[in-house]
Amino acid sequence: MAGSMELSLRLCPGAQAVPVLLDRLEAYAEETGLPMGPSQRLALVCEEWLANVAMHGTGASYAELSLWREPGSLHLRLADDGPPFDPLAAPPPDTSRPLEERMAGGLGLHLMRRMTRRLDYAREAGCNRLLAVLDVA
Amino acid sequence: MEIVEVRAEGATVAVLEGRLDTVTAPLVEARLLALLEEGAVVADLAAVRYVSSAGLRVLLRAAKQGMGSGRGFSICGLQSPVREVFEISGFDRIIPAYPTRAEALAA
Repeated sequence: MAGSMELSLRLCPGAQAVPVLLDRLEAYAEETGLPMGPSQRLALVCEEWLANVAMHGTGASYAELSLWREPGSLHLRLADDGPPFDPLAAPPPDTSRPLEERMAGGLGLHLMRRMTRRLDYAREAGCNRLLAVLDVA
Repeated sequence: MEIVEVRAEGATVAVLEGRLDTVTAPLVEARLLALLEEGAVVADLAAVRYVSSAGLRVLLRAAKQGMGSGRGFSICGLQSPVREVFEISGFDRIIPAYPTRAEALAA
């Protein structure tokens, strides 16, 4: 197949980086023929990650993403130099509560976990590092 | 994100087009909550290709306001990747969703 199946992006953490990120991921999905389902899951994992870096990472000077395809899967490496934040440590929201009791928090992390086959966190050399693997059916 | 308002019998249909994400969510929230001040609202998501947790929070707020005021809020036309996000969040059980606009308006 023509074109690279890899993508690297370095972003300034903040809301203004979100449309840049999503546009690039949509272009990547189109160029590499990624189906709609995995494409949306990829965009979601990346947006939730970036939104978290922007929210918790006061002082993060960068947010870096690299992405590559393997047969049947998409691999994502995400890094930022903000304060330590382990997205796997947050308790999952109770998705069975009725409307009046549903709170809005914790949803992004829940989606990240559910949309990945594997999600590993490490704090290394002053950076948060996430490794995510998504299924491509 | 584009929002077109269509007046229908008994409700306003907010036809959304684009991505409902961190950046577009505040605009959509302001519009939906303002429309809910006037009456029932159906958010037509047929042309929304992407919803993140920021978008889900907006729809949750609108649904709570629609329920609290008794005016009513529902959504329709979810694309399949968007429906998956709703199901994983459990929102499919708390926000009334219909396959088509006509069905949402008839409900």
